[in-house]
Amino acid sequence: MKKSSFFASASALCLGLVLAVSAGTAANAAANCIKGDRKPPYTIGWADIYSVPTWMKQTQGTIEAEVETLKKQGLVDKLVVTDAQGDANVQIQQIQSMIDSNVDAIILIAGSSTAPARVLADACDKGIAIINFDSLVDTDKVTAKINTDSSQWGDQAAKFLINAIGGKGKILILNGPAGISVSDDRRKGADAELKAHPDVKILAETNTPYNVAPAQEAVTSLLFANPEIDGILSLGGALSAGAVLALDKQGREQVPITGENARQFLELWKEKGLKSWATMQPNWLGALAAYTAVQALQGKDVPAFVKIPLPVIDNSNIDDYLARAKDFPADGYIYSPYDEELFKKLLAQK
Amino acid sequence: MSIIRSAKSAGALYWPVQAHRNIGVRALFLVVLAFLVAYGVLFPGLFTASGFGKFTQSWFPLALVAMAQAILMLTGGISLAIGATVSLGAVIAATTMAGPLGVAGGAAAVALAGLGIGAATGFIVVKLRLPAIVVTLAGSFIIGGAALLILPRPGGAIPAWLSDLLAGDTPAAFLILVVIVLLWKLYLATPLGLSLYAAGENPVGAYRSGVPVDAARVAAYAISGLLSTSAGLFVAAQTGSGDPVIGTAFTLNSIAAAVLGGIGFLGGQGTMRGALAGSLLLSLMISVMFFLGFTPVAQYVAQGLIIIGAVAIPQFRKVQQ
Repeated sequence: MKKSSFFASASALCLGLVLAVSAGTAANAAANCIKGDRKPPYTIGWADIYSVPTWMKQTQGTIEAEVETLKKQGLVDKLVVTDAQGDANVQIQQIQSMIDSNVDAIILIAGSSTAPARVLADACDKGIAIINFDSLVDTDKVTAKINTDSSQWGDQAAKFLINAIGGKGKILILNGPAGISVSDDRRKGADAELKAHPDVKILAETNTPYNVAPAQEAVTSLLFANPEIDGILSLGGALSAGAVLALDKQGREQVPITGENARQFLELWKEKGLKSWATMQPNWLGALAAYTAVQALQGKDVPAFVKIPLPVIDNSNIDDYLARAKDFPADGYIYSPYDEELFKKLLAQK
Repeated sequence: MSIIRSAKSAGALYWPVQAHRNIGVRALFLVVLAFLVAYGVLFPGLFTASGFGKFTQSWFPLALVAMAQAILMLTGGISLAIGATVSLGAVIAATTMAGPLGVAGGAAAVALAGLGIGAATGFIVVKLRLPAIVVTLAGSFIIGGAALLILPRPGGAIPAWLSDLLAGDTPAAFLILVVIVLLWKLYLATPLGLSLYAAGENPVGAYRSGVPVDAARVAAYAISGLLSTSAGLFVAAQTGSGDPVIGTAFTLNSIAAAVLGGIGFLGGQGTMRGALAGSLLLSLMISVMFFLGFTPVAQYVAQGLIIIGAVAIPQFRKVQQ
């Protein structure tokens, strides 16, 4: 139609544009996207996808704290925060505004694993340090990506639980929402261990949002159907809290269960004397992202992918976590302690 | 009425009628203008080809879905499936254009899907006399599911030259929008287009006067579907890939833009320029508030106040009259 002839006539012009852009990005600086022309104090843009969940608020808290530290060192003068309210299109527009206002660094949790790729490439071409953490974008045109390994999460959780029930028994598996990559990856990570132990029988699996109430409801109905349960492989902290409450309400004995660093779950763990294990998506990934951005801007080499080892909570250190509980919101996550030394170590790894 | 009586010829009638139609949206135009000026002052880069291009690219898909919703609301309909249809358009584009169908084939597939879905929805709503809100809500699940079937996880690809053409450093998107608005003007001059307002405002009266009410309404749904999938194609080009849930927020935003633009829920009330201005305001607000340095929480409050203000000002004046 009318459009396609228009495309054809302008395609030559467009080809020229592509060539011009790719010629401009000869990589010679230390880290990806860094050109070395930006001087401190830096302005950091934090492109949040959705600010409402407690995990996000706590993560923003670590970013703000880190920025305060960097301000004192004279390295950062401003933190610009946007909230896309869950809309990936709005996030793209906000990242564009950050480019337009010439921020020095952009840190983001992506609302889509593909959609922000082009706008991030634009930012990268302008020498803006881009640090992507938690929800990642499929692109190489960022300075660094920072994340834990979701499949390792599933694998370690399965290992603990199978060990705890003596290598055989009947278990429930509690998953996050279907079709969400984090929930998918954690479940897939558990597969190898479960297959290696044919005596571990999966009674049922659930898919619920990462909230206590729906998980409790789902587990309650499963309890009626299954009088004998030896363990619960839960792949989310709120899910674990829901399961423990469901067992408790039914007057059933608590069974070995895996979980996450949700404060409510850790407190139930202690209160009920559970046999348990938990890991976490540390909120300080946000602080580390801000730190990494400044490191990269100062010309230091940073790895393109920073893999964060999963911190583990078990009976040996649960008391240390609960001792700090009052510093965290009641519906929040008690993350492992962090400091600059830890960040340095993480960025130095190959 | 006095305006019409004093007019002497059809040509002289045109501008007074246009001016009359603008009355309800004048306040909105002023607010949009104020925001545009503010944006230009805060971000002088807006006046470069690339800055203007990037800004209009952020606005473009919202403008299309605002039109898609407005054309339905003008006929007394509504669609809750616009977001899902945008997603479907995006995934069709991202899965076909880099394959054997090529860009032309992919664009044709996107257009056909939009027209087909729109016409089918329109047929069900109009011929079976079912409430549009129910049909399109159910439709949103079907269409959203289809998008997930075509592309279960974000992926696919759009040829880079197409992305750079539509969403590069040029105002191409703005020019396409101008063309679409001109096509809309042309459509309003056709018999079906002329029937649109009549079918919305007084369907029984229009039917008795020989207006093809049903045809006008089905056509409106088909055009709405086409605009929605086209918005999806653009989003795919803009992002260089497909995401099966990328359009979700467009359903509510399209309704917000249309209502902000003075389009009534009961049909026959409002103008397309109003809906476009409404969508422009929604898009401008995001950028302007960023440059004003509002915190996210302050932005929520300010956005709500501006929307209520833009809708309420004309109402105050009506009440005073």
